[in-house]
Amino acid sequence: MIMPLLSVRNLTVQFRVDSGWVTAVDDVSLDVGEGDCVGIVGESGSGKSVTALSILRLHQRATTRIPSGTITYQGQDLLRERGSTMRRIRGSEIAMIFQDPMSSLNPVLTIADQISETLRQHQGLTGVAARKRVVELLGLVRIPDATRRADDYPHRLSGGMRQRVMIAMAIACKPRLLIADEPTTALDVTIQAQILELLRDLRKELKMSVMLISHDLGVIAEFAQSVIVMYAGRVVEEAPVAQLFRRPVHPYTVGLIAAVPKLDSDAPRLATIAGRIPGPQEIIVGCRFSPRCALVQPRCRDEPPLMQPVSDGQSARCPPRILVLGERHG
Amino acid sequence: MTDVGLGSLATASVIAAPRGHGTLRRLLRHRSFMIGFSVILLLTLAAVLAPLISPVDPSAMRVRLRFRPPSSQFLFGTDMFGRDVFTRVLYGARVSLFVGIAVCVISGLCSAIIGVIAAQFRKLDGAIMRLMDALMSFPAILLALGIAAALGPRVSSVIIALTVAYIPAGVRIVRAAALTVREMDFVHAAQVSGASSLRIVTWHILPNCLSPLLVHLTFIFAYAMLAEAALSFLGVGIQPPIASWGNIIAEGRDYATEAWWVMLFPGIAISLAALSLNLLGDALGDMLDPRLKGGE
Amino acid sequence: MVDQPIVEVRDLKKTFAVKHAGGTSTLHALSGVNFDIMRGETLGLVGESGSGKTTAGRILVGLIPASSGTVSLFGHDIAGANGKAQLAAVRSRLQFVFQDPYASLNPRMRIGSAIAEPIDIAGTHSRKDRNDRVAELLELVGLPRNSVERYPHEFSGGQRQRIVIARALALNPDFVVCDEPVSALDVSMQAQIVNLLLDLQERLGLSYLFIAHDLAVVRAVSTRVAVMYAGSIVEFAPKAKIYSDPQHPYSRALLDAVPRADPDFVRHPVVAGEVPSLLDPPPGCSFHPRCAYAMDRCRVEAPSLRESGPGRRVACHLFSA
Repeated sequence: MIMPLLSVRNLTVQFRVDSGWVTAVDDVSLDVGEGDCVGIVGESGSGKSVTALSILRLHQRATTRIPSGTITYQGQDLLRERGSTMRRIRGSEIAMIFQDPMSSLNPVLTIADQISETLRQHQGLTGVAARKRVVELLGLVRIPDATRRADDYPHRLSGGMRQRVMIAMAIACKPRLLIADEPTTALDVTIQAQILELLRDLRKELKMSVMLISHDLGVIAEFAQSVIVMYAGRVVEEAPVAQLFRRPVHPYTVGLIAAVPKLDSDAPRLATIAGRIPGPQEIIVGCRFSPRCALVQPRCRDEPPLMQPVSDGQSARCPPRILVLGERHG
Repeated sequence: MTDVGLGSLATASVIAAPRGHGTLRRLLRHRSFMIGFSVILLLTLAAVLAPLISPVDPSAMRVRLRFRPPSSQFLFGTDMFGRDVFTRVLYGARVSLFVGIAVCVISGLCSAIIGVIAAQFRKLDGAIMRLMDALMSFPAILLALGIAAALGPRVSSVIIALTVAYIPAGVRIVRAAALTVREMDFVHAAQVSGASSLRIVTWHILPNCLSPLLVHLTFIFAYAMLAEAALSFLGVGIQPPIASWGNIIAEGRDYATEAWWVMLFPGIAISLAALSLNLLGDALGDMLDPRLKGGE
Repeated sequence: MVDQPIVEVRDLKKTFAVKHAGGTSTLHALSGVNFDIMRGETLGLVGESGSGKTTAGRILVGLIPASSGTVSLFGHDIAGANGKAQLAAVRSRLQFVFQDPYASLNPRMRIGSAIAEPIDIAGTHSRKDRNDRVAELLELVGLPRNSVERYPHEFSGGQRQRIVIARALALNPDFVVCDEPVSALDVSMQAQIVNLLLDLQERLGLSYLFIAHDLAVVRAVSTRVAVMYAGSIVEFAPKAKIYSDPQHPYSRALLDAVPRADPDFVRHPVVAGEVPSLLDPPPGCSFHPRCAYAMDRCRVEAPSLRESGPGRRVACHLFSA
């Protein structure tokens, strides 16, 4: 059994609010293998971004606590490593890009300065060598006229360009894992397509693993090889991408896929999921999706369900449904 | 969740967490706020109940009791005229707190109105802001000194002088908030429905500019008290025999070695009042910081 | 019975003066836009940033003044010399639904007052009638009656958007401009709000201008679709046609670029380049720098919107004689 590159086990993350602590991520486990492309999909409150931030320990120390869980990277538990180790890992081994390119870049430094910072920190490059590498990187992310653009300030660049710069900074030290948190959400559709194509090509060229977080099922379907579906802080389903879309198991996944408006067909009304996403402070006993589920049974409200395998590579957190499916096949 | 608009960011930076019972509970639990609030409350009560706490005439001179150090009979000692310093400090609190509140309220009202007008009517904006800049280019205390000297040494002069000195800072704050609020979609929604400028300013813009102004005003309260003390100390403010913390210190200056207690206790009172107001203001600022608001 | 359009926009232009270090430049947000909206239909206005769709929507309700052209609503031209008076005459028949549910409600106003605001401004209802109307509106959008006393922050994004819709319907408008009404919502909530808008249209006979960048959502609500690029309409078609057979190269590129929730979908090559600067637009057709089919003519002559089929118009030299 090959060791996965990154292994998250039983991660629970809580935030402090006035009345106490609230759980944003509840007992989440996932793996990212060498060269894998994992997509994490969920709506607001699903905990997908918090999970990603926890991997690099980028959360607010004062108001966040991680009462349990391990995040294993190359045999070390990142949650228990020293600050200096994390600083070494961030940027050079595990890199991250974020949603909003407007606020991810320092407005008072040129592009070259910002990319050079990473190069200096992790590879000790300075002066001419750093400059050469900067231009090379900008070319790699397909920024036209890279030599001139390197001396621009962020405000002169469009959203798509800034995101490319972010990607250049992220891949500067050839990380083994790239975490992309909603990298294209704030971009126009045609630019989004360009950026996704870029990420796909870079992944192949640099032999990187990618963890892509998105609320957009289309982006996940196009980009990911395996998908993890999160709802209200928990993983509710995981499957290889084709299987997830062809045969979703968890009622939330089924509902979510059905609710996406279709580009290629018409319907008098859109399919909906009844009710709404629970707030982080709402306490729901049993399955968190039970208040909205069309297939709900008494046992769903009594005990929190466990993840169960459905078939090769696919598992879901819904015993009643798995039972029904099993009966159909068995 | 997609956040394509910058509206929510702008909302967060200007508009405070709306009122509700949650706010009151948070206030009560906030340590700085409780300390600051309690001290100011205590000082206010002391000022209001002064005649009950110390039923002595603050201006009563008893030459035989001059320069008595603090004792059980005279808590803060007596001054160069034999007056009870404790009583004078209590009555001085009345003046200082009254000036503080008056300056706060009047300058707050003026700042709010002028600031919103400047933000809403761009043609007047230029003229108003240049006037504010001109006022702000004088150090507040000098400006107040000049006005108070011109108007004569009494409480009302001090209040007018300080109000004028502190209005520009408030106007800046309200105008900045109002300019941001104007661009919010809920203002546009009112415009689409045909709301008049007056309605928009009264119901939409002003209520959402109050939070930053409120925090600012607690600091103005403190500055006003300190400034009143300074003005009275310099002789252009409240004149003895009416006690004010400032003029008690002024009178005590010549006797610093013989009767250090005359300067010390009003000094402590001023510091305590200013400090507690700063704590209050900081706490309010933290509290109204939308980052702490539970969000999506 | 002659089908008269309720909205007629002719040669609408809008420029903004942009101040910067070197002086002032002109930003061409809209360069001569023409469209009609018929009673009871939904015109979907689709485009990316810089297309001008939001500007057009806001001009239609009088939030922004037009630079030139005519904007005729129910026969009244609000862009002309007497614009303000004309707008006042039709104001009660128009409304606007905003994008961001967190910024379109006054956080210090109870939602009962927020919903009633159009009524209060118009001053046409008695106190009792006003409160009854608010209760009616809450029910119409699926919110509990006791919501009147609560503040916006007590509601979720989807619920807030319902409140915004209730407010828009307060005076029974005939025409509602919806500017990205669901793009800030979660997928499951988007579907609910889209259905609500469709239900309300059926029940109340509303006409919509539905502005969005999400083509799939536009498909779900529109009768006809107009595609905008860099300040002008490049294609106009009934819904059924534009998705199955886009004519303008940009429409095609746009449809190709949308990610499909279907892993078997085969991707077409992605169009390169970015939206041109509106301060310094390229000569000729504004799409030509990115167009795979650009000819010499495209670089010098801007194409005009021409008939290219039943109910279809396109601005592209590939389709002109």
